[in-house]
Amino acid sequence: MRSFRHVRATTVAEACALLAEPGTRARANAGGSDLLGALKDGIYPEPPDLLVDLKTIPGLDAIEADEAGLRVGALARLADIARSEPIRAHWPIFSQAAQAVASPQIRNVATLGGNLCQEVRCWYFRYPAGLGGSIDCLRKGGPRCPAVKGDTRYHAIFEGRGCFAVCPSDTAVALAALDAIVVLEGPGGARRELPVQDVYTPLGTVLEPGELVTAVRVPPPAEEARSAFLKFTVREPIDFAVVSVAASITLRDGVCTDARLVLGAVGPRPYRALEAEARLIGGPIDERAAVEAAEVALAGAKPLRGNAYKVPLARSIVMRAILAALEG
Amino acid sequence: MDEATQIRLTVNGRGHTLAVGPRSADVAPSDTLAHTLRHVMGLTGTKVSCDRGACGMCTVLLDGRAVLSCSLLTVECDGSSVTTVEGLADPETGGLHPLQQAFVDHTAFQCGFCTPGILMSTKALLDENPEPTVGEVQEALAGNHCRCITHYHVLEAVQDAAGRMREAALEPGPTVSESSSNAPERDVATGTR
Amino acid sequence: MAAGYRHIGKATERADARDIVTGRTRYLSDLEVPRMLYGRVLRSPHAHARILSIDTSAARALPGVEAVLTHADAPDWRVGTPRVVRVLDSTVRFAGDSVALVAATTEAAAERALELIEVEYEPLPAVLTMDEALAPGAPEIFPEAPGNVVSAGTPWFGPECLTGVRMGDVERGFAEADAVAEGVCGYENIPNPLPAEPPGVIAHWEEPNKATLWVSSQAAYQDKVVLFFAFGRQVDVRTIGGPCGGSFGSKLMSVQLALQATALSRAAGRPVRLVMSKEEHMAAFVLRIGSRIKAKVGMKRDGTVTAVAGDWLVDTGYYSMTTQAQVAVGCGEAQLVVRSPNWDLRSTIVCTNRTASGIVRGFGGQELKCSILPVVSRVMAELDIDPFDFFKKNYVKPGDGYFWRDGQWYTYRGIDYTTAMDAGAAAFGWKDRWRGWLQPSAVHGTVRTGVGVGVHGNVDIGESVSEAWVRLDPHGAAVIYSAASEHGTGQPSNLIKMVAEVLQLPLDRVTMTPADSAITPFEFGPVGSRGTWAMGGASIAAAEDARRKLLERAAPTLGRDPGDLDTCDGLVFPVDSPENAIRWNAVIGREGSVMGEGRFDPDFTLANCMMTFVEVAVDSDTGKVDLRRVVNATDAGTIIDPPGLENQLNGSLGSAGIDSALFEETVYDPATGRVLNANMIDYKWRTFAELPDMKNVVLETPVDSHRFRAIGVGEVATAPGPSAVLMAVSNALGMWMDEYPVTPERVLAALGKVPARGRGAGGTAAAATDSDDLAAGADR
Repeated sequence: MRSFRHVRATTVAEACALLAEPGTRARANAGGSDLLGALKDGIYPEPPDLLVDLKTIPGLDAIEADEAGLRVGALARLADIARSEPIRAHWPIFSQAAQAVASPQIRNVATLGGNLCQEVRCWYFRYPAGLGGSIDCLRKGGPRCPAVKGDTRYHAIFEGRGCFAVCPSDTAVALAALDAIVVLEGPGGARRELPVQDVYTPLGTVLEPGELVTAVRVPPPAEEARSAFLKFTVREPIDFAVVSVAASITLRDGVCTDARLVLGAVGPRPYRALEAEARLIGGPIDERAAVEAAEVALAGAKPLRGNAYKVPLARSIVMRAILAALEG
Repeated sequence: MDEATQIRLTVNGRGHTLAVGPRSADVAPSDTLAHTLRHVMGLTGTKVSCDRGACGMCTVLLDGRAVLSCSLLTVECDGSSVTTVEGLADPETGGLHPLQQAFVDHTAFQCGFCTPGILMSTKALLDENPEPTVGEVQEALAGNHCRCITHYHVLEAVQDAAGRMREAALEPGPTVSESSSNAPERDVATGTR
Repeated sequence: MAAGYRHIGKATERADARDIVTGRTRYLSDLEVPRMLYGRVLRSPHAHARILSIDTSAARALPGVEAVLTHADAPDWRVGTPRVVRVLDSTVRFAGDSVALVAATTEAAAERALELIEVEYEPLPAVLTMDEALAPGAPEIFPEAPGNVVSAGTPWFGPECLTGVRMGDVERGFAEADAVAEGVCGYENIPNPLPAEPPGVIAHWEEPNKATLWVSSQAAYQDKVVLFFAFGRQVDVRTIGGPCGGSFGSKLMSVQLALQATALSRAAGRPVRLVMSKEEHMAAFVLRIGSRIKAKVGMKRDGTVTAVAGDWLVDTGYYSMTTQAQVAVGCGEAQLVVRSPNWDLRSTIVCTNRTASGIVRGFGGQELKCSILPVVSRVMAELDIDPFDFFKKNYVKPGDGYFWRDGQWYTYRGIDYTTAMDAGAAAFGWKDRWRGWLQPSAVHGTVRTGVGVGVHGNVDIGESVSEAWVRLDPHGAAVIYSAASEHGTGQPSNLIKMVAEVLQLPLDRVTMTPADSAITPFEFGPVGSRGTWAMGGASIAAAEDARRKLLERAAPTLGRDPGDLDTCDGLVFPVDSPENAIRWNAVIGREGSVMGEGRFDPDFTLANCMMTFVEVAVDSDTGKVDLRRVVNATDAGTIIDPPGLENQLNGSLGSAGIDSALFEETVYDPATGRVLNANMIDYKWRTFAELPDMKNVVLETPVDSHRFRAIGVGEVATAPGPSAVLMAVSNALGMWMDEYPVTPERVLAALGKVPARGRGAGGTAAAATDSDDLAAGADR
């Protein structure tokens, strides 16, 4: 790992100012479980010369729930989110998604903000410099994507543009199904709020230099909402999702009045299957409805040459998530 | 904001103050906790295998939680209490911790390279949950790679150790050696860092 | 457990147990040698290229850098069969090949120095697969391998080294068959044995020609022998082994690393530690050989095999060290499983521009079997033969013969493993679960259950030479001089048990020297399941020799014939009057010791056997394959250490074993030949959270090996499982699966839910979208 200066921030404003300072290549560090790996692998063409520790900012790890909903600070650790009583009670798929991330040791340090903002897992993007140099790609400002004609078994089947890496965050998928809003703060007190799926672009995120995710707000759950989060991995725990699905379904008198179907690891951002949601609304939810909705959800998928299998796979996970939500 | 000039760490109950700087006895900002433990403090019981947070061999307890020491910067551990595999045995008598003894009794290791990390993950689990189900042990160890496949013996050893520790806790007299027992209480809702 | 033994067969504490659980065990990367430098290797981005120029001036100028080596100044030491691989070369032959070496006072300085080295390459066309390598006019990787075919046979196994199996008349055999099947099947996912501890070495060069190497290897003495030849017989080599954090065979291939560290030490004048990072371990060390066979098998209705013919293609990667040996052993092992009078099996070793293949548990036999058994299965299916019955009938029986690795014919004199197989089948419930070929055992919704079985055995349990000395000390203790360092199997502790049993000493009175070639006699090492019989045989013989000498020396004092005497707990006494015991020191004296010598010579007339039954559950919606149950059945003659043996058999899952049929594979970029999953997240390994129900059935039928009538079975544990998984998944799905691993993609393709891709990773297109639309920045 290349050497760098290390600064402990005590306020968000201070951190944003440091990160935005012209002439420095600063990066924010929260749990570090993703960033340190990326630095050791030497994947950045311009490695940071300054790391800004966010953990020293007081209060940024708070988890607060009340009638207005849930507010989770960006520095809240995944383990704490997973076992938070209010989250488990009222936003269970958020808790399940946090619990589905990596290993216990990682969840003990990894933060919500870090999970949302982690780098993609594309194995071309991540190729370690120690094996003959890192691989240049579109995402790094290079001229082309080496993955597209390569091994794309884990790549996007939706919304890829130039880069086909998928958003690897599990919490983002659950949060998108919960209509969560991400709070971004930037230099000079700038502050904006975005739906979680709008944070991501095919080549990265919308974050401006010096801008940080500082919190996530989740509205209170609808009274009759039922939900499920399913994550398909090569191995049960610890792996990144091949496909994940968060489903939230509101049933009144046996009729679906509202639905969220969000697919993870299929595109550069959590992919909301709007047409499938619309198909569910207004009818009863049973196996046939679930199968049909799943069919609709994947109808627009555009797999690459190496990941066509993700389409039927995602279809079955969507179907199962809808049915699991009924049980939930 | 500030830049650390020195780092205070409590390792296996002993306090250390390390300067931040370029000498080999110092802590560089880019040094990982695993590096500091192994190369500065000579605590080579903590192993480094993948060095990317994916194998669990470098697991130590940081303020009572199982963490990956390869993926933490030492400068960010300032003020923390660390327990490594060297801190499991009784510091007075050198007697093995019941967990260690159970691993010995069940031959719950083969090459042994992953054993320190497995012991530390298990220690964190049993501190929090003295009576885990087998499934809970499996989940707690999901991030610990063992290539020889000693998993089955480890699961037996952990159940055995948990039983021994519960028995020991019921007995009067000195309690089971707990080198991290002075770790601060964690507040689940707000975190402590 | 064999009755009457004091230590053998008992679950005793491993000698290094306390060190392991307290973190005191010092593996290679825990060692510090005074004045030691840290070495790093600059690696090639190209799968095949000529180095036009290297500028190391900036790296040399960096503070802390003590040596930089390139192909221009590296010594001309070579490894390989034939000897084509240098310390550094002017041509790089796989993505990750060594380009330059740096030694510096810190790891950080060494790493920084690598970044400062400027290299200009002339990329050459590369051959990334066997098909490309064998195509007419393909670019050649080495002039010594014309057409990218590596010379057959290894001098190590003699002039008649087995390169295939040829006997009888296959055409007549096929004519006599009731059914004949032909097919191509491969085991080409080249998994990584991936021991926990990355490969590494510390080298200390002393002028003019002495090299001391601290190695992390399962066979430290063998390293000395291999290095002696690699150094061109010009260097006085001493190897020191220690605890090894897993090897599974692979670390016997650290030779190039050892040469590089030694070259750096010579250049810097200081010891150098060269330890691979995990990504180097995964992309630039050694993998399994790739294996593909085009085979034809004839069979009669009763399961008698009438003929086997096949062309076996073996992908060795960019060079071969032991691939010829693996071919020899693989061909031998095939004959243990398939008994046929007519064979025409030929092999071709192919060189490709990818990471080298090396030694991995299974050593040729696992690879050949995983490739050919699916073809054998087709014939069994045609004749409706239960594979368990087939294996039971065909596995080598006393009086059967086989060609072994040296090309000689041997007659098997071991036990009949039918009983162990029956016991395994009963434990698994095979007869209840087997529903016929391509028939699931059960179907519940989308989950289809299937069963499979495989068998494997090895005659290398008696290969090569082991030597040991046992020294008796006057105070009633014994020291074993052996280069048997611990690599996870508990072998040193087992040797201690055997010697303690012979000498009737408590276990804590027997110790072992370090595995230091300056101290111990020759030891080929614990490979091929040879630890119990071959290594044990040498230690037992040494203990018996020492005991005999002790009793001879005691005889005059006790006024009895040596044959009337016995020893126990450091006392010598007449068998008929134990009350007249004298202490060892009364025999040996305060000054002195008694030294016994032992040696094991190769014996290829015994074989071990491992049968593995598996049950899988396949989700036909997601394509996920779950391994539900595993039963391993074997006969160990006598169990030396029950928990150690159990551990070894549980190891059938990992280290590129059963899991190589489920999810383990090395993924290459089809365009550049770079390893894409050289990390512990994308390379899949068995976690604690997903464990099949595992049962090991071990019988103890005394076998005519050594005094404890035991044989080793550890190494073969991985071998029968992968093809059993393929069989089980085929049965679950009701259609043949021919490729490893059985990923969700392959399962869904077999079910017709996605278009099938071509053979091999990243194979030909099932393009749902034409890639030309996806060029840089194109908007979809």
